[in-house]
Amino acid sequence: MSEQKLNKGLAQMLKGGVIMDVVNSEQAKIAEKAGAVAVMALERIPADMRASGQVCRMSDPKLIQEIMDTVSIPVMAKCRIGHFVEAQVLEAIGVDYIDESEVLTPADKKNHIKKENFKVPFVCGAKNLGEALRRINEGASMIRSKGEAGTGDISSAVGHVSLISEQIQYIISPERTDEELEKFAKDERIPVELLHQLKTLNGKLPVVNFAAGGVATPSDAALCMQLGCDGVFVGSGIFKSKNPEKLATAIVNAVTNYKDPKKILEYSTDLGDLMFGVAIDQLKDNEKLSQRGW
Amino acid sequence: MTVLKQYTVGVLALQGAFKEHIELLQAATQTYSDLNFKFIEVRTPEELITCDSLVIPGGESTAMSLIAERTGMFEPLLKYIQSDKPIWGTCAGLIFLAKQIINGRPEQKILGALDIQVKRNAFGRQQESFESPLDFGSFIPGVDNFPTVFIRAPVISKILETSYNKEFIPIESIIDNQDQNIIYSNNKDFQNNSPVQVLHKLDSGLIVAVRQGKILGTSFHPELTNDFRFHKWFIDEFVLKN
Repeated sequence: MSEQKLNKGLAQMLKGGVIMDVVNSEQAKIAEKAGAVAVMALERIPADMRASGQVCRMSDPKLIQEIMDTVSIPVMAKCRIGHFVEAQVLEAIGVDYIDESEVLTPADKKNHIKKENFKVPFVCGAKNLGEALRRINEGASMIRSKGEAGTGDISSAVGHVSLISEQIQYIISPERTDEELEKFAKDERIPVELLHQLKTLNGKLPVVNFAAGGVATPSDAALCMQLGCDGVFVGSGIFKSKNPEKLATAIVNAVTNYKDPKKILEYSTDLGDLMFGVAIDQLKDNEKLSQRGW
Repeated sequence: MTVLKQYTVGVLALQGAFKEHIELLQAATQTYSDLNFKFIEVRTPEELITCDSLVIPGGESTAMSLIAERTGMFEPLLKYIQSDKPIWGTCAGLIFLAKQIINGRPEQKILGALDIQVKRNAFGRQQESFESPLDFGSFIPGVDNFPTVFIRAPVISKILETSYNKEFIPIESIIDNQDQNIIYSNNKDFQNNSPVQVLHKLDSGLIVAVRQGKILGTSFHPELTNDFRFHKWFIDEFVLKN
């Protein structure tokens, strides 16, 4: 329980902030200088993983260690869904957060990692409330949307965030009967207590919830914040753009002042070429990373 | 009809756990039916200027400092410090208020409101984060078991010498030999005219809470607990006594 409080607590410190994917210590430095609250250490950014069509695994510990030695902000790293040994290795390196991520090729097609067995905190993706609560029930200390990584298309992240909000409203509505709650819990394979807790907390998830997947512009980031996210992950968007430093800074600023259109206007102006985009509708279902995870 | 005096307490909302502070400040003042409190998130100089007191929350200290500078909040914060109003910094907030920091980043600017040196991430990374009930009875009467949360926390590594303070180094060993890059505050216009008071030391001797006049700094996060006694003490001892 104590670990949970510390681990949820670190996520609370990241709120109102931007977490950036980086593939080397140079990029990590740029991210830190731009005001990122944490970096995600990766071998390849999602756009390149998507293009490669290869099996994607945990990054080389040497690379993660180099990034940890370079920056003073928290360092996160990804392991494959269900690959608890990759998670053990990441814990042994001493990373500050593990992302059990659909961006990598899943190792277990049925189970996610039992995260309560670890001291290190986990962040997990969720497309809907049931998935979010399943991950929280397994011990995740932070949740993020599962927008299509590496596309630069914000629509699926927006879809997940909106769906979670709608489902929370459904659960906490005074009209909900105990039978309906039982049914929802059963269908979603979660203890019904989690739904009662959600009601007690007035619809607030018990962990921090970030937007992730497809964020490419300051407006994308502010959109997620206005929809109620606590912060934003940016993956391929920054380092696939012409001017990563400028864009990274602009996205950080937009997340701070997400309610102020005049400021977002200023931050959005003259950023140079942004990342190419892949419209999600152009992807076949089996190319969609958000389908991974269960 | 008597007009109640209104106290506006701002929480710097550039990044971090600012909502948590507001919730606990609200909880702490619920019984003060004869006083009128307003708690606001502060992102702009216009909002800052309305505040009688300010809380700087936990978060990432580099991000907070860079965002303050870029959003035009750094200079107004320096002015605010000169205005001699109560301020409380927790964790990243403590770092932001210090005169010197160790393990900081070259681009990280600090406010220089407290004559202390602070070491960032003094205990290590997240896996070294910890909770501990601490005895604050010496400065908050009756609070002898406060649940403190230290997350990648800083400590006060030195009390700096001024005409009010003798230089004091709590534990020399916490200052690594290879990590002597000290970031200094450029705030030349402000001198805190009170001595630094050490409020709490851990058993290891590390200083985790100090007060210098109207400015309070803590390494830990009372805002992450459900216990509002620390916030109530800040209201009583700083906000209302000002």
